[in-house]
Amino acid sequence: MPMKSYHIVILGAGGVGKSCLTAQFTHNVWIEAYDPTIEDSFKKLTVVDGQSLLLDILDTAGTEQFTSMREMYIKSGQGFLLIYSITSLQSIGDLPALHDQICRIKETTEVPLVLVGNKSDLENERVVSRGRASFLANKWGGVPWYESSAKRRVNVDEIFWDLCRQMMRLERGTEEVEVKKEKKKKHACVIL
Amino acid sequence: MSSTATMLAPSTRNSAASSSSSGFVPVSRQNTISSTHDGTRSIRASKRYSHTALYLSMSAQDRDLEIEDELARAQKTLRDLKNKISAQSKKNFVLEKDVRYLDSRIALLIQNRMALEEQKDFESHFEESTEVQEGTFPNDQKTQAYGNLFYLLQSEPRHIASLCRCVSMAEIDSLLQTVMFTIYGNQYEGREEHLLLTMFQSVLSAQFEHTPEYSSLLRANTPVSRMMTTYTRRGPGQSYLKVVLAKQINNLIEHKDLNLEINPLKVYEQVIREAEEKHGELPADMPRSVSAEEAAANPEVQQIIEPRLTYLMKIADTFLATIIDNLDETPYGIRWICKQIRSLTRRKYPDAKDHLICTLIGGFFFLRFLNPAIVTPRSYMLIDSVPSEHPRRTLTLVAKMLQNLANKPSYAKEPYMARLSPFVTNNKTRINKFLNDLCEVGDFYESLEMDNYVALSKKDLELNITINEVYGTHALLEKHSAELLQGRDTEHLGILLEELGPAPSQVPRKENRSLDLPLFSRWEGNIDDLSAALDITQEDVLFMEAKSVFVQLLRSFPATSIAARRPLNLRRIGEAATSMKDIQMFRKGMRGQELIKDLEALGVITSEDGFQILREEIEQELQHLGGMKEKAVEEIKKLDEVYKTIRDHNAYLVSQLETYKSYLHNVRSQSEGSKRGVIGQGSSGKEKKNQVLGPYKFTHQQLEKEGVIAKSNVPDNRRANIYFNITSPMPGTFVISLHYKGRNRGLLELDLKLDDLLEMQQNNHDELDLEYVQFNVPKVLALLNKRFARKGKGW
Repeated sequence: MPMKSYHIVILGAGGVGKSCLTAQFTHNVWIEAYDPTIEDSFKKLTVVDGQSLLLDILDTAGTEQFTSMREMYIKSGQGFLLIYSITSLQSIGDLPALHDQICRIKETTEVPLVLVGNKSDLENERVVSRGRASFLANKWGGVPWYESSAKRRVNVDEIFWDLCRQMMRLERGTEEVEVKKEKKKKHACVIL
Repeated sequence: MSSTATMLAPSTRNSAASSSSSGFVPVSRQNTISSTHDGTRSIRASKRYSHTALYLSMSAQDRDLEIEDELARAQKTLRDLKNKISAQSKKNFVLEKDVRYLDSRIALLIQNRMALEEQKDFESHFEESTEVQEGTFPNDQKTQAYGNLFYLLQSEPRHIASLCRCVSMAEIDSLLQTVMFTIYGNQYEGREEHLLLTMFQSVLSAQFEHTPEYSSLLRANTPVSRMMTTYTRRGPGQSYLKVVLAKQINNLIEHKDLNLEINPLKVYEQVIREAEEKHGELPADMPRSVSAEEAAANPEVQQIIEPRLTYLMKIADTFLATIIDNLDETPYGIRWICKQIRSLTRRKYPDAKDHLICTLIGGFFFLRFLNPAIVTPRSYMLIDSVPSEHPRRTLTLVAKMLQNLANKPSYAKEPYMARLSPFVTNNKTRINKFLNDLCEVGDFYESLEMDNYVALSKKDLELNITINEVYGTHALLEKHSAELLQGRDTEHLGILLEELGPAPSQVPRKENRSLDLPLFSRWEGNIDDLSAALDITQEDVLFMEAKSVFVQLLRSFPATSIAARRPLNLRRIGEAATSMKDIQMFRKGMRGQELIKDLEALGVITSEDGFQILREEIEQELQHLGGMKEKAVEEIKKLDEVYKTIRDHNAYLVSQLETYKSYLHNVRSQSEGSKRGVIGQGSSGKEKKNQVLGPYKFTHQQLEKEGVIAKSNVPDNRRANIYFNITSPMPGTFVISLHYKGRNRGLLELDLKLDDLLEMQQNNHDELDLEYVQFNVPKVLALLNKRFARKGKGW
């Protein structure tokens, strides 16, 4: 059986730590320097629940001047990490519009997605309460929500794995649905 | 000579002669009349130009003397052009918002997934795009109150600045639209531009105060970054981007097949894909999935990447060189913002090293201004269609290289980018010098002060604004008034808000009107006594007025006139003017003679040297104006380009909206039709609508010129014989056929549904393949839209 491969897109406002989370996950490094991303892509082999997966990870620009590229990214992505920083209200405030955009482009609300509040090591600078984030996660139909720290490598693998599980589940689901559809079609033909 | 002039002239001569005896002129007055005040000389001298400008502008305001020389004509053209650009960029900003919204919805509509209710909302956006009617405010009292409020907002930018900090990201778009395109909408008017920049500074410094960490400065998306985006969308920013980027980018996207990918993994994938296609199986030594390191170590991959690295660095070098060479083209406002970033950083972090400061400047200039335009050139009107895959990737790589150069690169993220590090090392000094040079612009505070007085002295200060903009701004002020009124000097704002009461809600789009709101301030009357306001002496005022009068007279004389001969003879000029039939010239001439008399009496000038100081300054001014004419002509040329670009963009936006509109009508009429069919009603009315339109004939040449044909495989010598027929057998359906002259049957026929075209456009498939030619999808849509519009009913 060929290895499954998934396309993950990381979205969120500027400076919330998208690149740092990605770098920790893909090659276990902590990036101290400030280096705004324009568009970086990575490949990572990982094993989730005994299944090997090849992940194609796209780290995007948070800088809003680049947002016109988002649509293209969303079209190409299968699963999304939506990142905010627990030290910036603005950053979580940007996410509902982004979530809308994803659902609109994917034409469904059932998109594999994880909500992530990064910088959990900066507890004393927290301005986004846990309540606010979990409320948002529920509002979006109960999407998984984590708080992570790229710096201390807390919940880094977990968010990616969670997303992978969702994508795998969705794939199994559609396969089943397609099988059902097939059956229905045949049925319909008989009637006609 | 007319009789009046003969009668008056001698008396002037007499008085001038009589006062000449009093003429002792201190030596120190030789160059500037202000230098008598020791120590203030340099400030005065620097103010002098502005003062002259002030007088010239004020007398221009009077319109008592229409100067008709070339400079005046050039300036008028320039002024008109600037107004048009300002108005047009506002229209485009609004249209863009609509198109963005519709873009995001059209996919749903195509798949018939839009709920009826949303369809209505969708439609309302078409109404917005229609031009807002002129009108007036419902009542006079309101006009007054709002006139005062907007005067305050315009002249004291701190209120808008605090408002920008309070509002949410959802509110900021409409606020910025009002602020940048209306309140400070005259993009080329010094005063409004400077007030806008003052507001920027205020917001910027607040951000510096509230950012604890150096590293997160200017990083997040905030009102400031949104302001910067919107600011760069104004005329000057657009024309700059066109100058520095358009040619380079267009060169690049022409090479559609030029693949410069240097990510080893992607190159590796391509290699094995090609091998597989060729041999039907993977090469023995190349497994399907490898790590980035393995891919990078592969000799074949290395061989492909090596020349690409060199090529990429060459491309990035030309980009950089053009940017650096065009330092002087960089809009003043952008440079001034860079300067603020530098000085704010130095103030807050005295220990910050120069290269760190450069990183921050680069963060604004490259990350927020240039690079977005490089990565998505279409949204910046630099190119006509979305670039294909390879050029797009190349542009992204170029932007990344420039970003690495402006910032400290960390190759920790994408190790393969380290191969391009020579570009960074070789250019580091160059870029830091450039970023520092960017900051070397003068401040405008002094001229702003002056401009504000000019504005006050104008009797008809007006603001063209829509009712909804007025109400919207009022609503925001009201909502955030508690925070706003905590600031210093907000008493006047408080009074005005109190008097205005609760903000009215937005009026329906159909009822929205644009109006000319007269601006005034109840706290500052019109300034009649400028000398008091500007803290200058009576002598200064008379001297400047005299200068201004003579300059105007000289500009009004024909170049061959005796009075304009050198060396200038001020008395002769005055006489010549008073001898003219034109009453304005006569008055100016009289005034000039009076002024000479007064100045001589005050001992400022003397007839002994033929009023040398005044003459010299007049000559200087005329020279300065001569230079101005050339500059004006040059600027006109440049702005014509800008205006053309934004008009083209406007046409594109309008045609986009038209397409959507037609499509919507079409969808509706179809669904109506099917409903009727079900109910079994007769459709006698419908048949008419299904009338066949066309065929319309288009020549190859015509379509090529209009850009409909993107690529043609027809040999040059045959093109003249090729033509196309387009027919629309029913709304939303088209048949395009390609013919060769003299042959009965078409070479090719293609059935097209409007939906398909829209869907292609939606997915950025810009090319429609007709075997012999490739059509450009957006252009085809525009063409169909123009030719086949079925009145009011869509296609």
